[in-house]
Amino acid sequence: MSEGLQVRNISKTFGITKALKDVSFDIQPGTVHALIGENGSGKSTLTNMLTGIYTMESGKFILDGKEIHPKNQVDANNQGISIIVQELGTLSGLTVAENIFLGHEEQFMHFKFYRDTRAMNAEANRLLRLYGFDRIKAEHLVDDYNFEDRKLIEIVKATYFKPRIVVIDETTTALSQEGREELYKHMARIRREGNMVIFISHDLSEVLDKSDNITVLRDGTYIDTVKAKDVNEDDLKKLMVGREMTGNYYRADYGEKVSEEVTLSVRHVSVPGIIHDVSFDLHRGEILGFGGLSESGMHEIGKAIFGASYDRTGEVELEDGTHINDIPTAISHSIAYTSKDRDNESVVMNQSIRDNIALPSLNKLTVGKTKFLSWARIKAFAARYAKEMSVKMQGTHQFVSELSGGNKQKVVLARWIGKGSDIVVLDSPTRGIDIKVKQDIYQLMDQMRKDGKSIIMISEELMELIGMCDRIIIMKDGALNGEVPRSKDLDENKLIQMMV
Amino acid sequence: MTQAVAANSKEKQLKSAQTMKLVRALLPIIGLVLMVILFNFLTNGRMLRHLPLAMSQVYVIMIASMGVFFIMTVGGLDFSQGSILGLSCIVVCYVSNYSIPLAIIAGIATGAAIGAVNGFFYVNRKIKSFIVTICTMFLFRGLIKYLTTNSPVAGSAELIMLDSTTFKVVCTAVVVVIGYICFTFTRFGTDLKAIGAGEKAAMFAGIRTDRMKFFIYVLAGAITGFAAFISAIKIGSVTSSGGSMLETQILIALVLGGMPISGGAMVRFENCVVGSLLYVVLTSGLTMIGFTPQLMQLIQGIVFLIFVAVFADRESLTVIK
Repeated sequence: MSEGLQVRNISKTFGITKALKDVSFDIQPGTVHALIGENGSGKSTLTNMLTGIYTMESGKFILDGKEIHPKNQVDANNQGISIIVQELGTLSGLTVAENIFLGHEEQFMHFKFYRDTRAMNAEANRLLRLYGFDRIKAEHLVDDYNFEDRKLIEIVKATYFKPRIVVIDETTTALSQEGREELYKHMARIRREGNMVIFISHDLSEVLDKSDNITVLRDGTYIDTVKAKDVNEDDLKKLMVGREMTGNYYRADYGEKVSEEVTLSVRHVSVPGIIHDVSFDLHRGEILGFGGLSESGMHEIGKAIFGASYDRTGEVELEDGTHINDIPTAISHSIAYTSKDRDNESVVMNQSIRDNIALPSLNKLTVGKTKFLSWARIKAFAARYAKEMSVKMQGTHQFVSELSGGNKQKVVLARWIGKGSDIVVLDSPTRGIDIKVKQDIYQLMDQMRKDGKSIIMISEELMELIGMCDRIIIMKDGALNGEVPRSKDLDENKLIQMMV
Repeated sequence: MTQAVAANSKEKQLKSAQTMKLVRALLPIIGLVLMVILFNFLTNGRMLRHLPLAMSQVYVIMIASMGVFFIMTVGGLDFSQGSILGLSCIVVCYVSNYSIPLAIIAGIATGAAIGAVNGFFYVNRKIKSFIVTICTMFLFRGLIKYLTTNSPVAGSAELIMLDSTTFKVVCTAVVVVIGYICFTFTRFGTDLKAIGAGEKAAMFAGIRTDRMKFFIYVLAGAITGFAAFISAIKIGSVTSSGGSMLETQILIALVLGGMPISGGAMVRFENCVVGSLLYVVLTSGLTMIGFTPQLMQLIQGIVFLIFVAVFADRESLTVIK
């Protein structure tokens, strides 16, 4: 009998797509085991089967010498497996304690029908204190807490019963630096206690830093398992993509002079409770970065410029004197915006790629000077820009909901390139996107910069800010907290100091 | 080799998905043709011979369903159509004693005003559309009952003189053609579909979503206000039950026409035209065979349930606003 988890010949098909093909590997007890691969490589499919979210098809999971078949998440919990997911995993309308013990209430039940809420809250509060999350109270509704705190609640929910395996599925992309540190601490603790963590992340430096072994998947097939200490980021990229990455990842130039010409000036902009008295200028051909903790208000900056903030005060002015106060004005004056919340705010999910790309440009895609739309021109327009962005699709009639995250982002970018926007605000443009598409996006940004367009890049990934921006503004508690020019010697630590 | 097979099967799947889409688009039309043939067969051709009579219901339903069609495209619902029709009818009949053109305008204005009430509570007060419109349905039905307490409101003789099949067909055709052109060949339709498919994203793509949503409730009210004119010239007077059940008839008609309940990108303009024809053929066919009105309502309910169960797009059903 062997300890740990053995994954044996796991396959899974969805319709005609083979999501996993005969995948086998081992996870040693007392390790953090990373699972990496591009989008669609099968990482989440594998862990979703392990945690009972998807049904098994063929193959086996053997945990500590015993074959397991989780039927659902609660069943998986009982067999010693839990998961923390990328998006919100807590249920609104329930208290913190009810969320933590969801599906495991029987320990507080008397005579099968009376739930001892007081005992449950006390136990939950004890756990929260144990984890060091004292500010979270078990009796409160989870709705009272922000995204970050709700993730912390999930950490408690997923680990308090000391499961053998905890799956952490791309959770870190949604967390700020602070939240990540909390999560890392608990990963280390689980490992120390001799249990296992399956860690899924797109951030390779984090993967190398935090895990012991790394398994690489590509297109549903097992590629290799390596020890983290034997490899570097380039080795991993090569394994994931299956070929050498060519060309530069980020832009390569340093010391280029940015034009003095101001294309957009932001003056004393405030949004109650989120940002406070922010002023800055954006220059022609400049990439201006915004960094900070996710609660620092930097995401609201993008919305404020685009006229999408509720209750904004202050001025956003273009070089020709136009004031931007609502979205249609912003768009007609050549401002583009891609949201961090791609699925809700950037793409219209249940609509075709064609309509998504053409939507802001419809006014010019008409028959002559009339108000009547020209469907031929719309089709040609969408096809042209989808092709320019090399969107992977079956045709522009395909619905956006069927595309991967990276391709959705390409559709959004195609929309704004087609519109010919001169000021482009990108909020977390590479969030949850694989390396190949990331590189495409970086190259596109570099090209736009050279074409004289101005870009604002808001990102939680400090490396890409350092790699791409002419200037980085760091935000803290809703206000500007420092500005750093582009330089070769800039490192993350200097920025982090300004953030916290 | 395996890749070629995979590509091949992918193509097959794509093809079958497209066939499915085509079937879904064509089914209501095929259903309409089959239904006409079936009822003509069952009634020994009586239906075709008495076509104007059989179709007498269709004008009001088709015009009014177009407004609701726009509302449902953005993912809303409207249950107040019957009350809008009833109240507008009263206004039309009343004003027709002074001037017919003024009566048409007054009817449209009444409908638009009620639509504006719906739109205000839906958009500005952010209440779900079906709750708002159920409330206004109740409220304005109450008003109709109050206004018709003593006797039905009668229109002028001139009004009834207008009642001819040609006139009603022309009116309906004009409204439908204008609606079709706006929906299919201008931004209007594309914007509505985008709002139905993803409101927030539509807003971030530059559509003034709130203004649009308010506008279509007013528009739907106005359209039904015009339908009230057609209804008034047919009947000539309004009783307390004038226009009642119209909202259900419209809803059944749209669903029969293949309208996705949650709106969005799959909506086609044919849905409201084919749907209302199908509905009227079904009801008048059943009447001619000899079903009692009570039994018909039962049958309609069953047909409605079957259509919803078969055609509902379950993935996007949660977005009804």
